[in-house]
Amino acid sequence: MTKKILLVDDDVDFIESTKTVLESKPYQVIVAYEGDEGLRKAREEKPDLILLDIIMPVKDGFTAAEQLKKDPELSKIPTLMLTSYSARRSETSIPVSRGFSLEVDDYIDKPIRPEELLATVEKYLNK
Amino acid sequence: METLNDSPITTEAEHERSPQEAALRIWLKVLITTRWTAIPVVIIASLVATRVFNIAFPTAPVYYICVFIALYNLALLLQARRIEARGAGSLVRTIRFYGSIHIVLDLVTLTVLLHFTGGIENPFIFYFVLHIIGASIALSRKEVYLLASTALFMVSLLVGLEYAGVLPHVNLVGFAPPLLYQQVSHILAVLVVLATALYISTYMATSVAMELRRRQQEVIELRERLLHERTGQLEKASIEIAKLEEEKQRFLHFLGIAAHDLKAPLTAIQGFLWIMLGGYSGELSDKQKNMLERSSRRITELLNLISDLLDIPRIETGQTMQDIKEISLREVVRRSLDDLRNTAKEKGIKLKVEIPQNLPRIQGSSPRLQQVITNLVSNAISYTPEGTVTIRITEKAKELQVEVIDTGIGIPPDELPQVFDDFFRASNVEARGTGLGLSISRRIVEAHGGRIWVESPYPENNRGSKFTCTLPKKNKGKKK
Repeated sequence: MTKKILLVDDDVDFIESTKTVLESKPYQVIVAYEGDEGLRKAREEKPDLILLDIIMPVKDGFTAAEQLKKDPELSKIPTLMLTSYSARRSETSIPVSRGFSLEVDDYIDKPIRPEELLATVEKYLNK
Repeated sequence: METLNDSPITTEAEHERSPQEAALRIWLKVLITTRWTAIPVVIIASLVATRVFNIAFPTAPVYYICVFIALYNLALLLQARRIEARGAGSLVRTIRFYGSIHIVLDLVTLTVLLHFTGGIENPFIFYFVLHIIGASIALSRKEVYLLASTALFMVSLLVGLEYAGVLPHVNLVGFAPPLLYQQVSHILAVLVVLATALYISTYMATSVAMELRRRQQEVIELRERLLHERTGQLEKASIEIAKLEEEKQRFLHFLGIAAHDLKAPLTAIQGFLWIMLGGYSGELSDKQKNMLERSSRRITELLNLISDLLDIPRIETGQTMQDIKEISLREVVRRSLDDLRNTAKEKGIKLKVEIPQNLPRIQGSSPRLQQVITNLVSNAISYTPEGTVTIRITEKAKELQVEVIDTGIGIPPDELPQVFDDFFRASNVEARGTGLGLSISRRIVEAHGGRIWVESPYPENNRGSKFTCTLPKKNKGKKK
């Protein structure tokens, strides 16, 4: 069965390139453009994996991830945060509510090479 | 900042007695002590008078009066202790009030004592002056004049009643003629001398005491003013600090948004470039592929430059040191090398790691130190065409020393001093990095309270370079 991946990011161009890579596998890719929409789609679609950007309008990625991890049904879905390199390096000063202590599964540095993205996604889907 | 607001001076002032209060307490104590000494003086004077000078008068009343003085002095002592135990508070008026009672009691006692020891014949009659001087130290001029007048009134009353025969007169036999107490000129002379002595000493003693009290008040006011000024300055300073902190936060927030907005479009471009290069959007000619690869490389350069540029203010504002934890340097090195092992392998460079088993943990920022190690090792790999890159950690007395040694091309001697400057690129290599890597590493190491330096060519190999940085075992860090 085709695995379902929920991609939450506010950058349409980033979404398009990432979607192209993931669909080549093929994975089924569902898209959301901010945290609240991401949470709603996660409940509706029950994806196998979630890719979550951090800085987004309406609801940022940290807050969304926190709510995902609190939801007993959704907390088991592997959640990978998409970060820009500087945010990964150290504590970030980006305007979001949470720090890095969040219990997400992994962080993916943006930009990511197609082969690395696929390898990481595969690793968590097979867990 | 709480420590600044919570000025220790105010709390101190609450527990500390005012100088005026302290002086009054001492005054009460002095009165009591003087009274203790007065008792033996009275007894000795009586003994000397009767035994040595053979002056005859009944001594029993004198001893009874001494017992009476001892009793009320004891009562006053206990009462003074009670005031003492009350601790802080405005006791000035209370103490003055009790002090006046002391003096009045003494005046009455002295009058009674005089009655039993010759009245007007007894030269101790002038001891009233001592009481008045004692009172002048602490009481107001008006009060002291009142006390002086009371003394004078009581003595006059005593002498008058004895003169009129209402009270019996005790003659100091052998000292004064038996009828001296009936001699008006003597009585008047003694009373006039006593009155003038009392009022003049009141005037002199209260003048001096008032001046001293005025000075004391000035000192108190000056101290309060200084205290007030200092508190004001502290308040101002803490407001300034809060303002600076707020500005810093605003600046970091600005940087965060700038970083994100600068990188987002580049990230999107890089995504498309990699898709095209990965063949996800159809076949590319070699020429197209070459151009896209070069574009992608330039985007990477730009992304790195943005990261590095924004790193500098972040480190300098102390943001790095907010996540200081106890970390294992061995673990930091392991993670750095995980990322670099492939690059080294591709170039055929051997990575040698020498880390002692029982390396103590240190206080530090794990991601930032990883950044330093990655920077040093990746530089070493880049500038070493062939050979080995060694990462060695040694434990010193107060610090851990990290060395990254390569067998590469080294750094021209005249450029060594600038290696850790911003935008430095060695002249013997093709410019590749942002020129900020080592300057950022220096900032991170310094923020940890350590040092970083370079030796090239590394003497042991006579080629390549050795970068050394130290990290204190007990890190105080620059927690800004």
